Amino acid sequence: MTATQIDSNKMPTKGAIVSAEEGINKTIVDIFKKSLEKKCFDAILIPVRVPETEAYAWVLLKDQSLLDEANPLPPIISVQGAKALRSLTKRGKMTQNIAAILRPCEIRAAVELSKLKQIHLDNISLISIDCPGAMPLSDYLADPEKSKKIYKNVLEKWGENNSVRPVCHICNRFSLPSLLPRKSEETSPVEQDEANLPSIDLHIGLLGGNQEKIFLIPVNPKGRKILEELELKSDDSLDIWQTKVSEVQDKKEKIRKEFNLELKEKIEGQEKLTAMFNECINCHNCMRVCPICYCQQCFFDSGALTLSPETYLSRSEKKGALRFPLDTMLFHLGRMSHMVLSCVSCGVCEDACPMSIPVAQIFSLVADQTQKSFDYAPGINKEEPLPLQDFLEDEFHEVETPKEVN
Amino acid sequence: MSNVLKIKKGVEQGANELLKFLLESEKVKGIFTLRKMNENGAVSYSLITHPKELQNAVPLFPLMPVNAGKILSGFTLKKAINEPIAAVLRSCELRAFIELIKRTQGSLENFLLISSTCGGVYPLKSLTDGTYKEQVSQYWESAKNAEISSDIRPTCAACEYFIPQQADMTIAIVGKNDLQQECSIFLNTKKGEEFTIGAPGNIVSEDIDTKETAKLREKRQEQKKKLFDELEKNGSGIKALVKTFAACLSCHGCSKACPICYCTLCDFDSKTHEYLPSSHEIELEQKGGIRLPPGTIFFHIGRMIHMVVSCVNCGMCSDVCPVNIPVSTIFSKVGDSLQKLFDYLPGKDIEEPVPFGTYKEEEFTEIGE
Repeated sequence: MTATQIDSNKMPTKGAIVSAEEGINKTIVDIFKKSLEKKCFDAILIPVRVPETEAYAWVLLKDQSLLDEANPLPPIISVQGAKALRSLTKRGKMTQNIAAILRPCEIRAAVELSKLKQIHLDNISLISIDCPGAMPLSDYLADPEKSKKIYKNVLEKWGENNSVRPVCHICNRFSLPSLLPRKSEETSPVEQDEANLPSIDLHIGLLGGNQEKIFLIPVNPKGRKILEELELKSDDSLDIWQTKVSEVQDKKEKIRKEFNLELKEKIEGQEKLTAMFNECINCHNCMRVCPICYCQQCFFDSGALTLSPETYLSRSEKKGALRFPLDTMLFHLGRMSHMVLSCVSCGVCEDACPMSIPVAQIFSLVADQTQKSFDYAPGINKEEPLPLQDFLEDEFHEVETPKEVN
Repeated sequence: MSNVLKIKKGVEQGANELLKFLLESEKVKGIFTLRKMNENGAVSYSLITHPKELQNAVPLFPLMPVNAGKILSGFTLKKAINEPIAAVLRSCELRAFIELIKRTQGSLENFLLISSTCGGVYPLKSLTDGTYKEQVSQYWESAKNAEISSDIRPTCAACEYFIPQQADMTIAIVGKNDLQQECSIFLNTKKGEEFTIGAPGNIVSEDIDTKETAKLREKRQEQKKKLFDELEKNGSGIKALVKTFAACLSCHGCSKACPICYCTLCDFDSKTHEYLPSSHEIELEQKGGIRLPPGTIFFHIGRMIHMVVSCVNCGMCSDVCPVNIPVSTIFSKVGDSLQKLFDYLPGKDIEEPVPFGTYKEEEFTEIGE
C-alpha cells in the first residue's frame, strides 16, 4: 500500500519528542522502566540479550533489572515477535496489562493471528517502532561483533546500507503508515470509526531524529493515556519525522518495484520456479518459523501423503525416476496458498532455510499480487475480515467466465 | 574373507556400472540412490526405474540432503515392497533405517542394500556457499589414504562406524589405493552374491578390515575424543545448557530432520505444551521474567531422552539448525555414553531389541539402592 491510501485523519500529527542523549536504545528502555514504575503496564514483552551470549530471546518481564539487557531493535529477528505473543495468549486473554514492543511486520503478524483466533489481544498494548530492517541470521551469527557495528550504520544511514535481509531492503512497510487503517469509501463515517481503529496504541519514531531524539507517537486514546501516565506531553510537531518517513517510503517503493520485476523474471513459470526450489530438503523450517503458519500439524507432515511402495514405483516408472522426499514443490505451493494472503513479508522463513532458498522473497512477491487482488492489507485492522473468510457475490467474475476462443 | 567383485573402473564409475547392471538385467525393479539435480552440486535421493536416468546417479557423492533411512522408512511404512529394489545408502543411514524398522516404521523386505566404507559427507552449508567444489577435489584423495577429509561434518570426522554392518554389498573406499582404477564391491551376504551373478568384473577374495581401515578408525576415535573434550570445555549443567541453546528459535528443525524422530506430531508441538495465560502469569510472578516461546531447553532434553539411545550420529540436526547450535555433537556425546551403558550400538543388528523395548530384572540395580 502507498502513503496516499492512508486515511489522513488517522495519521497523528502530534507526539512527544524525547531527547536520546544516552543513545536510542537506553532512552527507549528507560521509558519502559518508568512505565513499569508508574504501573502503566504490569509487564513488558521485549527482545533481551541472553546473558553471556550474543543471542536474543523474547522475554516477558516485570523485573526492571531485566530491561538492562533489553533491545527494542536488535540486529536480528530471532523468533518472530508475533509467535512469542501467540505462545503467551493463544489459550486466552491476559489478565495483566502487557506492553509488547514489536517491529511493524511483527505487529502485522500479531494482528493477523488475532483474526485467526491464535492471539488474544485483550490487555495487550501493541507498540511499534520504525524499523530499518534486520540482518540475516547467518551473517550475524558468523560475526556478531562486526554485525553490531554494521547495524549501527544501518540505523544511521536509513535505507542506504545494503546489509539487511533482502526482504528488509525492499520493505516499504517499516513505519507507522503501514499500520494505520486505510481510507475506505464504501463504509459510512460512523462505521468507519467503529471498525477502523488502529490496532496499535503507540509508535516509536526514529526517522528524522538523527539518533539524537525519538518521537513517541500516540495513535489512539489509549496511547495518549500511556504518554500522560509517563508525564510526557504529546503536543510536539511530528513534521520532521513525517517528512523523513515519506521520503524513505518513496525510495523503498521504487526499490521494491524494481526488485520484484527482476525477481518475477527469475521465477516465473513452472520450470524456473521448480529450479528455485531444487535444493529444498523438505525440512519445513520455513513453515515452522512462519508466524502465520499456525497449524498444530501441517497437512504436509500429517502422513496423509504417505503412499504404498507400488504407487511410488509406478510414479517413478512414468518419469524414469522419482525424487525423494516427495512433494517438496507441492509443500511450498500448498503452504503458499494457505497463508500468503496474510504474509507480512517478515523474512524469517528465509533466515531459517538451511539451503539458502530465497523463500521470503518469492512469498513476498506473490503476497503483493494476491493481496492486491483482494484489496487486502494484512495486519492493519483487527476488524477487517480475512479475504477468504467473507464471501462477496460480485467478485472475480472473470475467473468464472471462460475467455472466448477465437 | 569375503568375495569381492572387482570392476576395472574408477570407484564412482564402477558403482554406476553395478547399478546399471542390476537395473538392466532386471534383477531389481528400481534403484534408490543420490541423483544430481543441477550443475551447482545439488543432489537428492531418487528412485530410478529407467536405466537412462542412471546417468545422473551419483551414489557415492559426499553430501547427505536427507538421511536416507528416513526416506526408506516412509517408503515402506504402509507395507513392505514386493519387488526387489536396490538402495544405496551410507552406514549411518542404514543404521537409522534399521532402528526405524525395530520401531515398526518400515520394512527391509526385498531391499538389496548397497553401502560403502564412508569417508563422511560435507555440511549442506558447503553446497549453499559453494565451498564444496574445492573441498570435493581432495575428498577422494583423503579417503584413499585413510585420512579424515577436512571440512566434513564434525560428527563424520568423529565417526568410527564407517564400515557398514548390515549391507548386502559394500563398496570399498577407505584406504583403497587403487580407487581411481578399480572399484571393489564386497559381497557380504548370499543375497549380495546372487544379485551380482553375471555382473561385469571378476571375483577375488579379500578382507574388508585392513590396516588402512584400522588406521582411519583410530584417527576418528582420536577426533571423537577431541570433539567431546571441546564440548566439555563449554561447561556443564543448566548454565551451560542455557548458553548453548541461547539462540534456539524453537523451530524444531532438528527433530524434523532427525531420522529417529519419527513421531507424526511431536509432543512438544502438541497441545500439551500450550499453556494458559494464568500459568504464564504465575511463572512471571515467581521469576520476574519468562522467555517466550517457553520450553526451549525442555524440548531438546525431552527429544534427547526419547531418541538418543538410537542416535546414529548422522549430523542432519546440526546441518538444518538455522542458528548453528552444535546439536549433533551434543546428541552424539550423550548417545555415546548412554549406548555404552546399555552395551548397544544402534542399527548394528536388526535382531537386537531397542534397550527400552526389553526389560531385564537385573539391570541398573544401583539406581534403586
